[in-house]
Amino acid sequence: MRLAKSILLRLVYGLVSLLFISFVTFVADEISPGDAATLQAGEKARPEDVQRLRERMGLDRPWPVRYVEFVGKAVRFDFGNSLLGARQPVSQIIGKALPMTMKIAFLAILLAAGVGILLGTIAAVWQNRAPDQAVLTLSTLGVTVPNFVLAPILVYIFALRLDVLPQTWEVNLRAPEFYYLLLPVVILAARPMASLTRLTRASVIDTLQQEFVRLAVAKGVPSRRLIFKHVLRNALLPVVTAIGTSFGFLLTGSFIIERAFVIPGLGSEAIEAIQRRDTPVIQATVLIAGALFILINLVVDVILPILDPRIREAQV
Amino acid sequence: MFWLGVGYLVLLVVFALVMPWARHSYLAAEAKPNLPPNADFWLGTDEQGRDIVARLAFGARISLIVGLTVQAISLLVGIAVGVLGVFAPKWIGVPLLRLTDGMFAFPDILLAILIIGVWNLGLVPVIVALAITSWPGMARLVFTAVTSLKDREFVIASRAMGASTFKLVLRHVLPHLWGLVLAVSMVDLAATILAESALSFLGIGVQPPTPSWGSMINYARSNMNSYPLQLLWPCLILSMTIFSLNFVGDGLRAMIDPKGVGRIDDAPLPGEATPEPAPP
Repeated sequence: MRLAKSILLRLVYGLVSLLFISFVTFVADEISPGDAATLQAGEKARPEDVQRLRERMGLDRPWPVRYVEFVGKAVRFDFGNSLLGARQPVSQIIGKALPMTMKIAFLAILLAAGVGILLGTIAAVWQNRAPDQAVLTLSTLGVTVPNFVLAPILVYIFALRLDVLPQTWEVNLRAPEFYYLLLPVVILAARPMASLTRLTRASVIDTLQQEFVRLAVAKGVPSRRLIFKHVLRNALLPVVTAIGTSFGFLLTGSFIIERAFVIPGLGSEAIEAIQRRDTPVIQATVLIAGALFILINLVVDVILPILDPRIREAQV
Repeated sequence: MFWLGVGYLVLLVVFALVMPWARHSYLAAEAKPNLPPNADFWLGTDEQGRDIVARLAFGARISLIVGLTVQAISLLVGIAVGVLGVFAPKWIGVPLLRLTDGMFAFPDILLAILIIGVWNLGLVPVIVALAITSWPGMARLVFTAVTSLKDREFVIASRAMGASTFKLVLRHVLPHLWGLVLAVSMVDLAATILAESALSFLGIGVQPPTPSWGSMINYARSNMNSYPLQLLWPCLILSMTIFSLNFVGDGLRAMIDPKGVGRIDDAPLPGEATPEPAPP
């Protein structure tokens, strides 16, 4: 019952965040100079033609009405048409781009979480000794070197000098997709990997000092079992939360990676739309990326109390 | 490491102030394109024959201008919101705090991308967009710090002696914040400089021909096979700047808080998403 109530609370909170994001996205378009009608009518249109077009498009109605309509359509995945080119429906553009971005982000978070938890645990178990020093140095590098610096450097080494991986994405792939995605995924994962490593290390060190671990050691629990069953189970809870929050970074990070590797995804579409001032596409990409971020965190928030009875008790 | 960082940052400021015009122009092509480093052009010239040293220096200036302006705005707004959240009447404080929480719903620089997207490309939109995305973190930090200060004896004593809320904040609360705020600002400054470079790398930040480290990295990528050194310089100066700012920020934090409550291992790192606030 308590669990249900807390999940319900989180859902409501997530919904409010979503409404906030949609509102900001809507307002951003409102206050930007010129509207869809001016753009559609072209530069040479007479003011009265623009006005007629505005009325036909329903842009002369008060903004609360249009906001409700905007949300209503967004829920049905209807973002209108692109202002440029073939005036393709925005939902089609997103539908093509989103799976690629999701795939890269998902692979990256898997890699980051796997390697991060492993390295963090190793560092914590050998605290202040050589493995720990090595992991700490690496992870400091990982958080401070931005991915748009890492990307060209790794491309230079692996694609140009060693020639083992392709330099960018290609329309007609000449090798399995794996080869094309390896560098982008590793680079995208680098930063969350480094911060998850640090977090795991801190959390495991913290857990190792707790009484129940000492008791387990005193009882003679073998060390491998101690780490996996006793320590990690407790230490990984904050890491699970952090996995959710780093997903937000992955989404925006994928903008940079997609740009660097010419991968057709949400980020590439967004940047192109900004440079061409294609507002519906900008709005839709931001709204969708934001909604995904909220959804992922919502899932994490719901999973956590199921994993940890203490959180279940603490809530409500 | 702290003093090394401080030394590097001082050098960077001098470099940014002096170098853009000292020897060569950062805008005009003064030599053949893609020259290797030589006595006249210390780091060579870029793909249009412009002096790389001068361009790096102007990029440093851009980074510092964007970083410092954004941090100044973020400090002002953040401190104001944080203090108002604690001391202002509820009808002002609560909406402000809810707005701060709401801002965290946006991942990273997504909001900045939206603002630039619907407004314009250029330096001012970048500054405004980054300022709008960076104040909530500062506001939350100040709010937490002020909340814990509010019930300390010296604040209660000052109140008992009849100090007005305004005087109380100015004389007894804010002076306690400077250290913490300064340390966090250093790390935030690194995040802002990084964000500006990222936007410029994407082509939606500072627009050419004005150089920025991010756009220099982007342009150097296209012929990195023949001229890898052109790629190295902006990458190097950017990474070292980020490193230094983080080390200085950490050093400051360690000085203020020697017990190490806020050490780098558990503090949110630059650009890292802050955990979602718990539902009310």
